[in-house]
Amino acid sequence: MKISLLNFHNNSTRHALLRLLIIGALALSSQVTFAQDKTDRVVKGKITDYATNQPLPGASIYIEGTASGATADANGEYTVSITDPNATLVITFVGYDTERIQVGGQTTIDVSLIPSLETLTQVIVIGYGEQKRTDITGSISSLSSTTYKDQPVLTTSAALQGRMAGVSVQNVSGAPGGEVKIRVRGSNSINANNDPLYVVDGVALFSAGLSDINVNDIESIEVLKDASATSIYGSRGSNGVILITTKKGKAGETKVQYNSFVSFNSVMKKYDQLDAVAYARLANHIAGSAVFANPDALAGTDTNWQDQIFRTSVTQSHQLSASGGTEKTKYYLSAYLVDQPGIIINTGQKKYAIRTNIDTEFSDKFSLELGIFATHQKLHNHVDVLDNGSAAIIPGAVSWAPTEKIYENGAYNRYSSIGSPLAENPYMIAKERLNDVTSNSILINGTLKYNITEWLTYDLVFGANINLSNNGYLNNQWINATNPSSGQGSSNSYTLQNSNILTLHKTFADIHDLTVTGVVEETSNRYTSFTASGGALTSEANGYYNLSLNGTQGIGSDYSAWGLLSYIGRIAYSLHDKYLLSATYRADGSSKFQKGNKWGYFPSIAVGWRLSEEQFIKNLNIFSNLKLRASYGQTGNQAINPYSTLGLLKENKYSYGTGSLAPGYAVGNPTSPDLKWEVTSQTNIGLETSLLSGVLNVTADYYIKNTKDLLLSQSIPQYNGGGSKYVNIGKVQNKGFEFSANVNAISNETFSWTTGFNATSYKNKVVSLGGESVVNLDYIGDGLINTNIQAVKVGESLGSFYLIPWQGLYQQGEQGFGSKAGDNKYEDVDHDGSIGYGDRKVVGSSIPTWSFGFNNNVTYKNFELNIFIQGVQGNKVFNAVYASIASPNSRVKYPTLAAAANYWTPENTGAQFADPASTTNRNYIESTQFLQDGSYVRFKNVSLSYSFPKEMLRFANIKLTASAQNLFTITKYKGYDPEVTSTGLTTTGTSDAYGGQDIGAYPSARSFTLALNATF
Amino acid sequence: MKKYLLVTGILALLSSCSSLLEEEPKGSLLTNTFYSSASELDMATTGLYGLVNLAFNQTAGFSTTFGADDMTASRNGNKTPFSDFDTFQAGSSNDRMPIWWINFYSTIKSCNALVLNYRNASNNATATQLNNAAGQAYFLRALSYFFLTRVWGEIPLSTDYTIDYQAKKANVEDIYALIVSDLQNAEQMLPDTWKGDSKRFQNSINIAPTSGSAKALLANVYLTMAGWPLKQTDKYALAAAKAKEVIDSKAKYGYALVDINVLWKRESNYSSETVFGCFFNTNISEFTFSNYNMICPNAYGSVDEGAWGDGFGELDFYNKFPAGPRKEATYQRDYYPGNEPDSLVVDYTKTTDKHPCFHKYTDDAAFDPLTHKTSNWIGNHTVHIIRYAEVLLTYAEAKAMADGVDASAYDAINQVRKRAGLKDLTEGLSQTAFRDSVVAERGWEFAGCEPAARWFDLQRTETVAKANSYRNVSEQTLIGKPDDGTHAFYWAPIPIYDQLLNKNLGN
Repeated sequence: MKISLLNFHNNSTRHALLRLLIIGALALSSQVTFAQDKTDRVVKGKITDYATNQPLPGASIYIEGTASGATADANGEYTVSITDPNATLVITFVGYDTERIQVGGQTTIDVSLIPSLETLTQVIVIGYGEQKRTDITGSISSLSSTTYKDQPVLTTSAALQGRMAGVSVQNVSGAPGGEVKIRVRGSNSINANNDPLYVVDGVALFSAGLSDINVNDIESIEVLKDASATSIYGSRGSNGVILITTKKGKAGETKVQYNSFVSFNSVMKKYDQLDAVAYARLANHIAGSAVFANPDALAGTDTNWQDQIFRTSVTQSHQLSASGGTEKTKYYLSAYLVDQPGIIINTGQKKYAIRTNIDTEFSDKFSLELGIFATHQKLHNHVDVLDNGSAAIIPGAVSWAPTEKIYENGAYNRYSSIGSPLAENPYMIAKERLNDVTSNSILINGTLKYNITEWLTYDLVFGANINLSNNGYLNNQWINATNPSSGQGSSNSYTLQNSNILTLHKTFADIHDLTVTGVVEETSNRYTSFTASGGALTSEANGYYNLSLNGTQGIGSDYSAWGLLSYIGRIAYSLHDKYLLSATYRADGSSKFQKGNKWGYFPSIAVGWRLSEEQFIKNLNIFSNLKLRASYGQTGNQAINPYSTLGLLKENKYSYGTGSLAPGYAVGNPTSPDLKWEVTSQTNIGLETSLLSGVLNVTADYYIKNTKDLLLSQSIPQYNGGGSKYVNIGKVQNKGFEFSANVNAISNETFSWTTGFNATSYKNKVVSLGGESVVNLDYIGDGLINTNIQAVKVGESLGSFYLIPWQGLYQQGEQGFGSKAGDNKYEDVDHDGSIGYGDRKVVGSSIPTWSFGFNNNVTYKNFELNIFIQGVQGNKVFNAVYASIASPNSRVKYPTLAAAANYWTPENTGAQFADPASTTNRNYIESTQFLQDGSYVRFKNVSLSYSFPKEMLRFANIKLTASAQNLFTITKYKGYDPEVTSTGLTTTGTSDAYGGQDIGAYPSARSFTLALNATF
Repeated sequence: MKKYLLVTGILALLSSCSSLLEEEPKGSLLTNTFYSSASELDMATTGLYGLVNLAFNQTAGFSTTFGADDMTASRNGNKTPFSDFDTFQAGSSNDRMPIWWINFYSTIKSCNALVLNYRNASNNATATQLNNAAGQAYFLRALSYFFLTRVWGEIPLSTDYTIDYQAKKANVEDIYALIVSDLQNAEQMLPDTWKGDSKRFQNSINIAPTSGSAKALLANVYLTMAGWPLKQTDKYALAAAKAKEVIDSKAKYGYALVDINVLWKRESNYSSETVFGCFFNTNISEFTFSNYNMICPNAYGSVDEGAWGDGFGELDFYNKFPAGPRKEATYQRDYYPGNEPDSLVVDYTKTTDKHPCFHKYTDDAAFDPLTHKTSNWIGNHTVHIIRYAEVLLTYAEAKAMADGVDASAYDAINQVRKRAGLKDLTEGLSQTAFRDSVVAERGWEFAGCEPAARWFDLQRTETVAKANSYRNVSEQTLIGKPDDGTHAFYWAPIPIYDQLLNKNLGN
C-alpha cells in the first residue's frame, strides 16, 4: 500500500495545503489528554449490539465531563482508566443510542447499545428542524454512512445508488467527475429540471451541486419523498429533497481516521468488431468492386481502435479526518484527495477537499454551528458524451476501419480514406485534445441558535455556495488542421441563503406535544462569466496560457441572476405519542416569472397513527413498532432558467468572410409573460413496522403524484422560425410503490448475516397535453439520427421511444414499398403506402418498471463479506452507437460491427441485417431495429474485509478490504453499459423526456479495489 | 434585545424583496427593446447573414435540386436522401431536405422583426442607416421566399414574428407579390456600394447586398414568374429591364465576369463575379457553423480520395457538356485513389462511383492540389448566390422572350460563352431556339451544386421530364415519373415535422 501521500511532492501547493491541515489536526488533537498517571483503577468491558450481540468496534467510550476515553477495538472491547469513582461513562456509536452508565464500584462494564432505528427518541433531520423518527408523518428514507462502509465510493451518488426505495441513481456517464442522474419518485416535469433539491446542513445547494460534497464527510442522508415532507420546500420540493448531514465532533472523543483505497479500472465490455479480412470482404461486397484487392492478405494487420482508446486506470482516494472536542466545543476536520484517471486515455480528474465543522456553545442560550467546506477539482478532457466534433472518440473508435493505421509516414493518419467519412482518427483526437476545467467550490453553512425561552428558539441560518470555475483549451494542429486555436473561460456563481427560523416547542398536560415553526427565507444567485477565444494560433508551445498568440480574437461574457423569497409555516402535533398531525404551508415568490405569476402557495397535511402504542396491538406481542401514515400536499417547480419568459435575442455572429466575428443577433424564442408555476399534488400512504424484536423491519409506501400546468417546452413550427417556447400545458401522473426491508437474519457470537432489500416500481403517464396528442422533442445525434426518436404522448410514459417499427427482412417472394427480398421491412403505421417518419409509434420507454437494491453483510469473526446487487427492469435504450456501425450510413461507408457480416443472401435468409449492397434497401436508423433492452442486474459491490484486532497492532484499528465494483452485469444490452446514456442529461441540455439514448456516452468501469481503514 | 434584532432582520428582508424578484438580463438583449439605434440595426442585419449561410453551407439544402439532369448521387448511406430526389421518390421524411425549409424560414422571422421595428431607431440613426438596414432585411426575405416557393410551391406566408399553429398555405401569386414588393423596397433602400463600411465592403467587393443585387434578384424573380407556375409572360419585359439596369451600371456595382480558370479557385473567394454571396472563414476565434462552408472541400470530392461524394455529374449531361476551360473548371479530370499521385492517375471511369466529380468547391486552404488530400471538413469557399453571369443570361432570355431576339440578347449570352472558351452562339436563331440555347447555357454555366440551380430552369420551362428522358441507362433507375403536363414531382413534399404540428400543411 505504497500509494499514500508521496504524490503530493509533485505539487508544492497541494503539499502545502495538506501539511497545513495535518498540522491543524495535530494541534487540535494535542489538547486531548492521554495521560494516565492519576489512574485509580481500570474499567474494562465490551460494547455489543443489543439485538445481534455483535461487538461494535470503533464505539467510543469517554468519561463524562472530561476529555479522556477510549475506542472499542475489533472485538468491541475497551479499557478506560478512572480517577473519580463517581464518574459516568458515556458510550456512543454511529447509528446507536448513546448510553450513560455510572461506574460506581464496577470494574467490568459490558454495554449493549440499542440501534437508533428502533428507539423512540432518535431524532432525524427534516426541513428547517428535527423531529423524532416516531413522530414523522411523512415518507422519509434515511441512510447512514455505515451502510456503504465497505463499498469504495468517490461520490455521494455512488453511496446512494440502490440503497433507498424510491430514489433512483443512474450513472449516466462513466467519465471521472461525470454526470449522475438522481430522481426521487420519478420525473414530474417534461422539460423543466427534475433534479431533487440538495440541502447540506440546512443550506440548499445550487442545482446539481451534489458532486461538490465530499462523500466521506457525510454522517447521514435523509431523503424527503412525499408532499408532507417536501412541501416545506415549496417551489423547490417537487422533485424530492435530499438532506445531507455532515460529520460532527463528539465531546471527549479524539478520533483520527485514515481511509484510503486504490482501484484498478477498465471498460466492462467492448463491441465485437470485424477483423481486417472480414471488413475488406464486406467492403468489396457493398461497393460491388475490389475496394481491397486481396482481403486475405490483410490477415493480422488490424488496428483495434477500441484497444487504442481504452486503458486500465488506477484511482486513488485518501481521506484523513480528526474529530473530538469538549462539551462546549466540538470539531470535525477532514482532508481529502482523489486522483482518478479515466478509462479513456488522456482523461481524468483530480480532486482535493477540506472541511471544518465546529459547534460551539457561547452560553446556555447562544450557540453556533459552522461548517466550511472547500474543494478544488481539476477535470482533464472531461466530456460525458463523446459524440461529435473534437470529442468524437467513441463513434470514431467503433467506426474506423480495422484496415486503417494510426500513423502514416510518421504523422497521424487524420482522415480515414475508406471507413468513416466524418470522424477523425479517434486515437489522434483522444491523444491530442486539451481541455482543462478547474473549479473551486466553497460551501459555508452557519447556524446561530438563540434559545429565547425554554420553549422558543430562534435560528439564523446563513449559507453561501460559491463556485469559481476556469477552463482552458488548446486545439492544436491535429485537432484543427486549418485553424489551431486556444481559449479560456471563467465563471463565478454565488448562491446566498438566509433563513430565519422561529421554533416553538411545548408539551401540555403531558399528552399534547406541539411544535410550531415559522420561517422567512431569502435565496439568491448571481452568475457571471467571460470567455476569451482565438483562432489562427501562431504557436502551440504555450498551450492555452498565451491567448495573444492567436491571430484572431474573440471575447464574450454573460450574466444571470435569480431570487426567491419564501414564507414558511409548520405545525406538528402529537397526542399521547399515538396520534400525529402535521401541516405545512409555504409561499414562494420567484424572479423567474413575470408580474402576477410570481407567487406560488404550497400547503400540505399529514396524519399518523402509531398502532404499536395501542394496547390491543401491544397485546399481540408481535410488533415493536407499527405506524400508519397518510399525507397530501402540493409542491412546485420553477426550475427554468432565468429570463426564460422574456424573449431574448439569439447571438449570431458573422465574419463577413474575415477572420474576426462581428456581433449579430437574430430573433429568439418569444416572450411568455403568462408562464407560471408547475404544481405537483401528491398523496401518500405508508406503513412502518418492526417485527420479531427488530429482526425484521419493513417500510412500504404507495403514492400518487399529479403534476399540472407543466412547464412544457412546446415546439414552434419551423415555418415560424423553429425553436421552442415554454407553456403551462398538460398533466403528468406518477403512481408508485416502494418497499424496503431490513433483516437481521442470523446473529451469534462469531457469525452474523444481515440483509437489506429495497424495491421500487412506478408508472409514469402523460395524462394531458392541453389538447395536443403528441409533443415532438428536439433531437440530437445530427447526421445519424434525423428526426426525434422520442416523443411525449398522451397515455404514454415520459421517455417513450417513438420509432418506425422494424419487422425484420423481406424474404424471397415478398416485397413492399419498393423493397425486395433481403431488404429491411418496416411497418406502414400510417397506412399511406410508403415508409417514413409518419410511421413512428411509441414502442417502450426509458423508464424502468422496477428497480431494486439488495445488500448482504456476512461477518465471521474478523472477516466481513459484503455483496451489493442493484438492478433495473423493463426499460429500453436506443443504441445509436451500435446503429452507427451496423449498416452503411453517414458514419460508416462499410459497417465495422462483427454482426454486420451476417447479412441477408438467398442462402442466409435468417440473417440479422439486410443486404447492405442492395440499392432498393431502406435503412432507417430511427427504427426499433436499434432499440435494445436496458434491463440489468449488476453486482455493484463485492467486498471482503478483515479487521486486525487492536491488541495485534497496538497503535490502531486497521481494516483491509479487497473488493470489486461492477464485477459483472447480467443484461441483454449490446453496448458498453446499459446504465450510461447520452440524453436526459444537464450537459446535453436535454430533459427526462429524452432519457435512454446512447450516442457515445463515456462507459462506466469495472474496478478492483484495495482499501485501508485505520482508526487511531 | 435579540427579539428586536430578529424583527429588524425580518423587516429588512421584506423591504429588499422588490428587487430580489425582478429580472434584469444584463448579459442579454431583448427583442422588445432592440432595434433602437444604428448600431443595433447593424447587429440585427449582421445576424441575418449567419441564418442565410446555414441554408447554403451544406449539400443538404440543395437536395431538392437533385431531380435535374446535371447531378446524381449514389444510393448508399446518407447519400440516399439525395438519390431519392434524383430518382423522384423523396417523401416528406427526407432528412436532408429540411435544411432550406428551416433556415430560410428562420431568416424570414428575423427579417420580419427588422422590417417591423427598424423605424424604432429613427431617433438614433440617419435615414440612410434606417433604409440600409431595412433594405438588407427586404432583400434577404425576398431571397428566402423565392427559394422556398420554387421548392415547395404553396407555403405559409408570414410577415411577422408571432407563432401560428394553424397557418394556411398561401397561393403562389401572393408569395411572389411579396417577393416583388420586398425587392422593390430593397432596390430603393440599399446603397449602390457599401464602400466605407469595413464589414460589408472588403477586398474591393460588396459583401452585403446592394441595390444592384436587389435588381439582379428581381430580374431572376420576374423571369421565373414568366414561366411555370404563374406563366405571367408580361414579366419577361420587366426581367429584361431590371437585368439591363444592372448590366448598364455594372461598373458602379463592381460586377464583371472573371477568368474561368480562377473563378473556382480559392483566390476568387472575393470576386467581382459575385452579385450576392455567402462568405466563410475557418480562421475565426470560436466555433460557429454558419461561418464555415461544409460544401468545401470534401462534399463533392471523390470517395476514392477520402472525400464524401455527396453528388456527382450525370453522365449524359457530362457527355454533352461543351469541352473547353469551363468544363475543366467544372469537373475533376484526374483522380488520385488513396491520395497517391505517384501511383496510377485515373479518370472517373476507374473510380468507385464511375461518375465525374464536380470541382467547383474543392479548392481551399484545406485542400492539397498535389495529393487531393483534405485536412478539414469545412472550408472558406464563397457560395455565389447570384453571379454576374446569371444576370447576363437572364437578360438574354428575357429580352428575347419579351421583344424578340436582338443583338443585345446575343451579346449577353456570348459574353458568357466567350468566357467559357466557346465560340459565339449561332446567329439567326428563332425566339424558341434562342431561349432553349440560353437555358442550356445556364445549365452548363451553373452545373452542380449552385444556387442558380439547373432544377429551377427545368421547372419554370416545364422540361423536368424531358430533360430526364435522356438519362443514361447506367444511372440509378427513376422510380417516380415526373410529368411536364401534370407537374408531378415539380414541388417537394412539405417536411413532415411541420405537417405534424399543423394539419393545414398536409399535401
